[in-house]
Amino acid sequence: MNFLMGIYILVFFTYLFGPLIIMSFTAFNSAEFPAITPWECFSFRWFNEGKIAYDGQHLAGLLTDWRLHDGLISSLIIGAGVVCLSVPIGMAAAIVLTQVKSQLRDIYYSISIMPVLFPGVIIGISTVVLWDRIAGLGGGGFISDVGRNGIFLTILAQTCFISTYCFLIFVARLQRFDQTQEEAALDLGASQTQVFFKILIPYLAPAIASAAVIAFLASFENYNTTVFSILSDQTLTTVIASKVRLGISPALSALALTIIALTVIAAVTYEILRRRQERKYLESQEEFVKEKAASSRVNKDYKAGFKVPKGIVALILLVIIGSYVATQIVKNDLYGNSCIEAADTLKKSKFLDQLQTLESNQLSDEDLQGGSLGGNQDYGDIFGDPTLFQDFGGFD
Amino acid sequence: MKSLFFTQPFFQKNGKSVALFFLVAIVFWFIFLVIIPQLYMLDLSFRANIPPLERGGPKDFYTLEHYRHFIFGSKTSADAYNFVDLGVFGRTILVSIFVTIANLAFCYPIAFYIAKIATPSTARLLIVSLIIPFWINELLRSFALRILFANEGVINNVLTGIGILDQGILFITYDVGLYTGLIYAYILLMMFPLYNAIESLDINQIEAAKDLGSSTFRTHWRVVIPHAKPGIVSGCTMVFMLTVGALATPVVLSSPNTLWFPQLIYQWFNLNDNWSRGSAYSIILLIVSVVFVLTMMRIFKVRIGEIIR
Repeated sequence: MNFLMGIYILVFFTYLFGPLIIMSFTAFNSAEFPAITPWECFSFRWFNEGKIAYDGQHLAGLLTDWRLHDGLISSLIIGAGVVCLSVPIGMAAAIVLTQVKSQLRDIYYSISIMPVLFPGVIIGISTVVLWDRIAGLGGGGFISDVGRNGIFLTILAQTCFISTYCFLIFVARLQRFDQTQEEAALDLGASQTQVFFKILIPYLAPAIASAAVIAFLASFENYNTTVFSILSDQTLTTVIASKVRLGISPALSALALTIIALTVIAAVTYEILRRRQERKYLESQEEFVKEKAASSRVNKDYKAGFKVPKGIVALILLVIIGSYVATQIVKNDLYGNSCIEAADTLKKSKFLDQLQTLESNQLSDEDLQGGSLGGNQDYGDIFGDPTLFQDFGGFD
Repeated sequence: MKSLFFTQPFFQKNGKSVALFFLVAIVFWFIFLVIIPQLYMLDLSFRANIPPLERGGPKDFYTLEHYRHFIFGSKTSADAYNFVDLGVFGRTILVSIFVTIANLAFCYPIAFYIAKIATPSTARLLIVSLIIPFWINELLRSFALRILFANEGVINNVLTGIGILDQGILFITYDVGLYTGLIYAYILLMMFPLYNAIESLDINQIEAAKDLGSSTFRTHWRVVIPHAKPGIVSGCTMVFMLTVGALATPVVLSSPNTLWFPQLIYQWFNLNDNWSRGSAYSIILLIVSVVFVLTMMRIFKVRIGEIIR
């Protein structure tokens, strides 16, 4: 039973991570189509300058793609705006929830969680149609400018449902709040406003931090709402979507790998910090016990031996394997300009061969009439040679 | 109003300035961001589609034209019903139900394992690794699947390279990619409610059931699942609503000749510039999916308050 469970977990996590890992590898393949096979060269071109194909089409890399950069900037602005609006709203709504009469509480709660259950497209559309009307009524000038500003509309539309995420985080934290703290402060002569700033806000600080992070991430990766409310502007997600629709490029793999790397680093740092805090807490507890016991027999038991941390061993192993693979790649000429040039000339020569075959494929009048090749009068020169297009790899 | 809505006088309880801030924030959110836009969209969906300049003029009247179009099709078409749009809509709902059930089936064993069998450190590791993929953009996750499933993609290349297949399978054309992507997209939103619900179950109840001679299946059916019902319902609701309203995954993964319903809305709205009809279709999507969820909750006897906890 446990064995089966292990296999199932393995399959499940392969499903979760497999596509991402394969995508990460395709970011390093110099070929124009994101693929593992055929593997051309190991290269960083999709992170840097990209490539200009023979037909002049520019397949931009991450560093040179100005549309991605513009999108990233507006995504950051929108994220900041959403955090500034949705965290206070979520906090206010959560605090008021504790003061609402119990008969009204269910209705209040339902309205608060409703936006999460609405499809994102609907929130985007409703915001746009409302503000288009407001802008129309406002005539020219400031109101119409604001009402037709994609970034402003996106902030409002996203705040509508991201406030609910914040609300839920604050509700969870407030459930463990000890009301007697407030009462004590009031008894000692604090005003209501002081209680809010000196007791409630410090207690809610961790929730504020996590709500801000969640709100920013949710805003940053939102597409369904943004694609309507952004109007003529672009965010990172809409740029990605338009790129995917036009044709998939390894530059997107490179972008995804960058985001994955940042995510993993953040997660690992968070985990390490948490463990360190836990260990500190345990150590302080141990010291407390030692002081209490004050006997040499107990002290001896706490003497810790030197242990090599697992993380460092794994890191060293990773570095060794990585450097070995890197040297092998360079040795076998799978990296660098020479390899890319070789691959390009190979493709070009194939292309030239095919062109030559095309040109040398002169048919006599007899063939054109439907002679030895079996073609017919109208299409003889196109269908004359059945092997003609077999190895044609496209115009790059 | 103070005694009507609140347990204590509102302005006294919070202090004047803070109370004002609360009131402004909540009214801004509920009225201005949630209710008015929806009501205005509802209003727009009953209006004729006219350019902005003609608003208030003779052509600006209320009509059921857009809803009629959804059911019966355009006036010039010969068909009795609008089979194309109705087909897209029905398919969206059916596939969403299938995706929800598949998600539940996939997540239940993992959630049970993390909550009840794994050691605390393993459980933490598994949870962290569950979260990592979902910090990555939904579009990019779909893009990863697109690389795998494309006609010249990794799976096809590997299979033909080994020699199992002569020709690649058209995963995208037959929407295999889309279904896989939709299951992938919101699986975390099923996992966490399930995990939370199962985690709160006392392990002694499972042991007791076993001691009394219950089989594994029976233990799950009679002890674990009834306890986890709120979690199951809340996970299913979230996954269903998000799948029905999904746009990012279908944009990347759906085949060129099939549409997901939000894509249809997008077409009316952005490509055909018919905002009224786009609004009408949005209203249809919203009402049908909400009614469906409420019906399911009535059938399984769960209150709305239990949904998101």
